[in-house]
This record gives sequence, structure tokens and C-alpha cells, in this order.
Amino acid sequence: MKTLEATKLADLAAALTAAGYRVIAPCQRGDQVHLECYQAGKTLRADVIPVNSAKDALFPRSEVIGRYRFEGNEFETVPVAPQAGKTVLLAVRPCDAAALAPLDAVFNWDYKDEFYNAHRDATTVVALACTAADDQCFCTSVGGSPDSTANADAVLRPADGGKRFILESLTDKGQAIAAAGQAVLTEGQAQADPPAQVAPAFDSAAVTAWAKDGFDSPLWKELSLACMGCGACAYTCPTCHCFDIQDEATRREGVRLRNWDACGFGLFTKHAGGHNPRHDQASRWRQRVMHKFAYFPERFEMLACTGCGRCGRLCGNGMSIREVCSQIEQAAQAGVK
Amino acid sequence: MVANINEIQSAAAALLNEGKVKLVLGYRVRGNDRVPAFVTQADQVGCLAYDSACTQNLAAYLRKGEVRSRMPLAVVARPEVMRSLMLLTAESQIAEGQVTVLAVDEQGFHGVLDLAGTAKLLNEQYARIAPDSSLMEQLAKIEAMTPQERSAFWSEQFEPCTRCYACRAACPGCFCERCIVEMNTPQWISTAAESHGNFAWHMIRAFHQAGRCVECGACQDACPQGIPLMLLNHFIAREVEREFDARNGYDPQAEPVIGSWKQDDKQEYIR
Amino acid sequence: MSNLYQPTVMRIASARDEAPEIRTFRLEFTDDQYKQDFYKKYRVGMFGLYGLPGAGESTFCVASPPTRTDYIECTFRRTGRVTAALQDREAGQTITFRGPYGNSFPIDQWKGRNIIFIAGGIALPPVRSVIWNVLDRRSEFGKVTIVYGARTVADLVYKDELAQWEAMDDVELITTVDPGGETADWKGKIGFVPTVVKDSAPSPEDCVAVVCGPPIMIKFTLPVLTDLGFAAGDIFTTLENRMKCGIGKCGRCNVGSLYVCKDGPVFTVEQVGKMPQGDL
Repeated sequence: MKTLEATKLADLAAALTAAGYRVIAPCQRGDQVHLECYQAGKTLRADVIPVNSAKDALFPRSEVIGRYRFEGNEFETVPVAPQAGKTVLLAVRPCDAAALAPLDAVFNWDYKDEFYNAHRDATTVVALACTAADDQCFCTSVGGSPDSTANADAVLRPADGGKRFILESLTDKGQAIAAAGQAVLTEGQAQADPPAQVAPAFDSAAVTAWAKDGFDSPLWKELSLACMGCGACAYTCPTCHCFDIQDEATRREGVRLRNWDACGFGLFTKHAGGHNPRHDQASRWRQRVMHKFAYFPERFEMLACTGCGRCGRLCGNGMSIREVCSQIEQAAQAGVK
Repeated sequence: MVANINEIQSAAAALLNEGKVKLVLGYRVRGNDRVPAFVTQADQVGCLAYDSACTQNLAAYLRKGEVRSRMPLAVVARPEVMRSLMLLTAESQIAEGQVTVLAVDEQGFHGVLDLAGTAKLLNEQYARIAPDSSLMEQLAKIEAMTPQERSAFWSEQFEPCTRCYACRAACPGCFCERCIVEMNTPQWISTAAESHGNFAWHMIRAFHQAGRCVECGACQDACPQGIPLMLLNHFIAREVEREFDARNGYDPQAEPVIGSWKQDDKQEYIR
Repeated sequence: MSNLYQPTVMRIASARDEAPEIRTFRLEFTDDQYKQDFYKKYRVGMFGLYGLPGAGESTFCVASPPTRTDYIECTFRRTGRVTAALQDREAGQTITFRGPYGNSFPIDQWKGRNIIFIAGGIALPPVRSVIWNVLDRRSEFGKVTIVYGARTVADLVYKDELAQWEAMDDVELITTVDPGGETADWKGKIGFVPTVVKDSAPSPEDCVAVVCGPPIMIKFTLPVLTDLGFAAGDIFTTLENRMKCGIGKCGRCNVGSLYVCKDGPVFTVEQVGKMPQGDL
């Protein structure tokens, strides 16, 4: 088997960079760990779940989808092609890799989104099996597991008490990574460490079942009281994919941008005429939960939540979808509508 | 946990029992986190907790319709939160009778106060809150930079900003019904999470906080991306104090530093 | 795969002001391939994204029927940045277009049946394309009734066409304005649309209804139709949710598990009734 010394993760990143990959890896940034483009000198951290998710590489927070030039009162549109270089998502968690399924679904269910697919096709996913979890992790409650290889092209498994990783290639793309990183990999034996224990937090089927008739429940008001309507949860979520389209122009030229957007924002559904179907934070928070646990499964036969726990970990107002789902499950058990 | 947490709980229970408030806004413990607690029944006060990890500024909830509709309410407030309440009073967002203060600091609970009492306590006990020394050191480093270095420093800091506006959501002072970043005719600030839009957003937000920010730190705590917003806020607060001899959030009748003018203002152009 | 967000350029053949802040463009394709693709897909009820680079895109229905193949039309109100920028364009200038998107009115299933069209204010455009589609294929359908109301006489759109419909022997047109909105020479009715529908008591016998208008009009018109005996499956309307992409990606128009931009914008009242009402 191929192994990699734990201290050599950055060397693997460097080797892949030298092989022409854009390497997106968990890099130390101040007190935090961010999934960002590896550059020489950056410290890689495999021990912490990064604050941002892997979706950033496939569905960037701001992407040019159109260009135009102005000539007096007239304009000319300029064709735009996706800028998608060969990319590897190195040491991303199974919950981030799992999120590619709902993203693939929405960007391909009818029209095929050229931008997303260009990034997706150019990307190799090297997952990192989790051997530790924190109190916000809940992958096992939403059909995942800490050592899942779903959507991964290769997987790094911590081994020998964290001293090294076993690199397991699962697809041709994964083989290519092993080949490109050959110089820093060793052929040898290692004992994979046991996966993290992620205790189930709630029964997602019970949440989905309750949500089917739960739209008008008075519970939403209570469950959402702490939410202040920012986009922190949606923007760090590996599956959230709502976006806005905005033009930015000078007098001579401009671009049309696809920017992330979030159902938690008050203006998200507000009509130009003033009517806002989701007029309070309770209805917006309800949309967030219902979309992940009821509407998306109804449409695409999968949950739009992978249990990464970022929303709960990062919310400045103490909201947590994990906690809310547990509360919904309790309500369901108690027969509360 | 502060030693006299029971006193906070009993004070909250008394307020609810006597019908003086419909809601107590406080903190509770969830694992390693401190999260807001919305207590409406006296028998729920047992969840109320307070320690130095309770950094969220609960005064931000006073702009939320679902919370405002439960006024009069009480709020567990450390000195910075009390200062936010003074700012909100000065800016006509809340009035005496709507908000009761459960005053706390790291030592513990200091009693139930109305807004006038809160103003008195603030000015007597907390008139000088020493700025964080590491903040001062970082600021000194930034001020020693050349303008080019400084610009590069801030661009680097703002680079990870996703424009989630968690900073705005966490801030009691950000109560505008329509934020300038949402004005699109014209589009004052680019909404793309890219360098110039991010720069414009954070700088303009900092300027809108001039004379208003009480340096509670909630925006920086709320930022998922770890952007050191307090460096900006503290810099601006210090300038305001130096130029206008004003410290934000101590006087519930204070006129806004940036939004008011006087005949004897020292700048010529204002006259 | 191609860039779904790349619009085509349309030339404004003519522009006319319908009512205060409401303007109609007649648009000609500048790209023949796009035009051919458009007419392959276009069925009445579909919508498009009309835009101006630098300002953005806005969603309106295609207000002309598929039976008119030289041009498309759109009619829209000035409500924000994009619509303001678009309204400032004049004949001879260009704008952008993406579409057609969404589903359509199943008019082929209405052959031989009577149709009543009910519209209020600026919501006549989506109905107007169906009206002309039906009138261009007049012999295939039964009795055609049009009830159209606006706040004031000045707010009525397509005034020339109202006159044309009025003059047709095989169309019954009822126009109305809200009380106080009439002028001295107003010959139509005075009253709210639901009341006018009730008073005219159209027969539900083998009849479908197309109802578009402001939410308040729809809210009070539907019970009238129900009382008259119209089945919820025979009443059609369009939802006007906010949209950005138009192609089932951006999530803005979601109502329950539906994408209004893909599954709609045309729904029967029966379908609307099954949606989460609080999200409409």
C-alpha cells in the first residue's frame, strides 16, 4: 500500500502543484484553518475541520458568467467560458465529498450548468477519513460516515496512531494523484486508525416525516428566534447552492457575476413590487430546514445536508441545524405538530 | 460560570412572575458553546448562564421583529452590551420601559436596572474599559506600515470575506432596514465577494460605525472567516475620541458624532 | 454544453408606452439560430429574462403568442434598477434576452372548450399572449370571454387591442375600472374585477378560466369562480416569483419542492392549493 508520512502532507501538496494541479487543501490562516489554494510555505492542518467547505472550488463565491463592452449607447456581448484549471481537493472531509452529490444533482437535473460541470470535471477529490469528531459533527445522522469514500477519487486514511496516512486510489483520477505524488509516497504497510465515533444526533427520517406536514407549525417561530438572518450558515455549508446574478460595469465594459446568495437574507424572495413571501426570519429559517430535509429529498431523493456541522460551529448567534433537527425529532415523538 | 448565577436566575424569574417583562434574553450553555436563551416562563430560568465566554451582544436582537414584539423584555448585559443599549436609546431604537437590564460582568451579577440606572452604573463603574493590549500592539504595527503595506495588509485580511454579513447581523448598531450594500440604484458597493467589493464593504461599515461602535467584539466573533474587524473598529473609536472627545455608548442622550453639527465646530467648511 | 447564461441580443423594433410606467417593446431577433431555437421551444405562457448589460436581467412573460413569428413582445412596469434601465431604451436600440423558459398553458387540451380570461392591471400581458394565441386559432375554441380591469382608465394596458377585441363578434369583452378610476367618457363597467365576474356569471359549462392579476384580485376572484362551479383544475394562473436564473438552479423561486421557473410559471388553482401557502 502507498503511505505518506503525516509530516509530509505539504510535500504531497507541493508535488501535486508541481504536477500542474491547483491544490485546494486545509491551510492554516491565523487562528483558523481554511480550504484554500496551497502555496509553498503554507502550513497544512489535517486535524481541524476547515471553516469553509469544498464547494468553494466547484461553485465559487463569485464567478464571471458574462462579459460585455459598451460603445456609446450600444453594447456588445462577449462569450465567456469557465475558467476551470485542473484541481485537486486534497484532504477534504467525507462530509464535503458527500456534498458533491446534491450539487451534482441541482446543477444537472434539467439544464446542465456549464460552469459547475467544468469545475467538477477538472477536479479530483482526495478525501481524508476522520478519526476525530467534535460535538457539532453529525454525519452519521444524515446517511454519512466519518470514513465514507462517497464521491472521492482517493482517500487518505490516518494510520499508525496518526503518524502516517494510507493513500487509497479509487478511480483513475485518484490513480493520477498517486502517480503525481509518487516522490513523497512510500510503499509499505500501515495500520489504519479507527474512524471517529460520531454519535447519532437525530433520526433524519423522523425530521423529514414531521416536515411533510410541518410547514404551518408554530414551532418554527421558537426554533428560529436566535437567527439574525445572515448568510454564515449558507456560505459555509457544503451543499447550499443558491445564487444571485449581478452586473458590474464601468463606462466601457462589464461583467455579469454569479454570486452566492442565501435564503436567510430578508431580500432573497422580496419582489420588486414589495411583496415578500418569506416576510419574517421564521419563514426563512423554515425554508432552510425544509429545503434540506423535505423539499430537496422530495425532488432529488437525497438530503441536502451532510452533517459537517459548520453551521452550528460558526453561527455567531448560536443557531444549529443539528440542535434544531433534534428538537424537531423530539416534537415528532411527542406528537407536536 | 459566575458565582452568583442563581441571583440572575431568580431576578429573571421575579421579573417574569411579576409580569414586568414578557421575555428574558440571556445565555445558556450548549456543549462548549454559549448560545442565546429566550426565556418566557419563570420555570425555565434554570438554563440561564453567564461567564466570560458569553460574548454575543444580545442587544442586536432588539431590532428583530419577533423579539421586539415581546417587549417589555429584560436582557443579560455586560458593560459593552449596556453601552449598546445606551446607543440604541440615543438613536431612538428603544425607550425606557421597554428594556430592563440584568447587569453582569466577569465578577457576577450586579442587579436589575432600568435604562437610566444602567447609564449611571456604566458611568460610575465602567467609564474606562481598557482596550485589549494585543489589539493595541497590532494597531501600532499597522500604523507603522507604509500606505502600500497597509493597503496590502487589509486586502489580505478581507480576501476570505464571503459577504455573509454575519458581522452586520451580530451588531446592535446595524439596525438599518435597508443596508447601503443592498441599495442598488445606484449600486454603491459591489456585492461580489472579491477584493474591491470586500474592501468597500468593510471600510464603509467601519465608517458607519464611527461614533457608534461600542467595541463589544460581536462582529469579529461572528465572522466565520476570522477577519480581525476589531482592529478597524478600535482604530475608528480611538479617532472619534481624539477628534470629538466622545466615547460611544455612555450617554443615552448623546447626539450622534457624525450625524450632528454645532456652530462652534472647529472645521471651517461646516459653517 | 454551452453557457446557459449567455443571452442573445434583440433589437427593439418599436416601443410604446401603455400606461404610466408601463411600456411595451416589440423585439426582433438579431441571431437567426437563436430565433429558430426559440420558436422550436416556445409555447404560450413561457417567460424570458430580458436584460441590459450593466443593469442586469429581469423576468417577464413573452407577451406575444407563438403564432406571431416575426417578433416577440414584452410589457413591463418600471419597478427597479433593471426595469428602469430597460424602459429608457428606445426603438432601434438593443437589449438582451434569454429564453423561452418554464412551462406553458395547455391550450391544445382546451380545443372545443369555452375560455374566460380574467386579468387585472399589469397582469394582462401573460393573458394577452394566450388570448391572441386562441384568437389566431379561433375556430378551434368555443366561446371566448375577456374580463379586464385596472385601477383607473389610465392604467389599462393594450388600449388599441381592447378596442380590437371589443369589435370582434366572437369575443365578449368586459372592461372595468375601480370606483373613482373612471373618466367622463368611460363606457366600461365600474367595479372591482371579482364583483364584475360575479355579476357577469360566466357558465362553468365546458369552460376553462385563465386568471392573472395582483394577489388581492386573485384572492377574491377564485372563490367567485368556485361558487360559479368552476373546478380548481380548470382554473389556470401564473406565479410571479422572484427569479434570477430562470433554469432551475439559483433557488430563488422555490415554493416547496417546486421550481416555479421550471415547473411553472403556469399552474392550475388545484396545484397552487397544494403548495405551502405561506411561501406564496
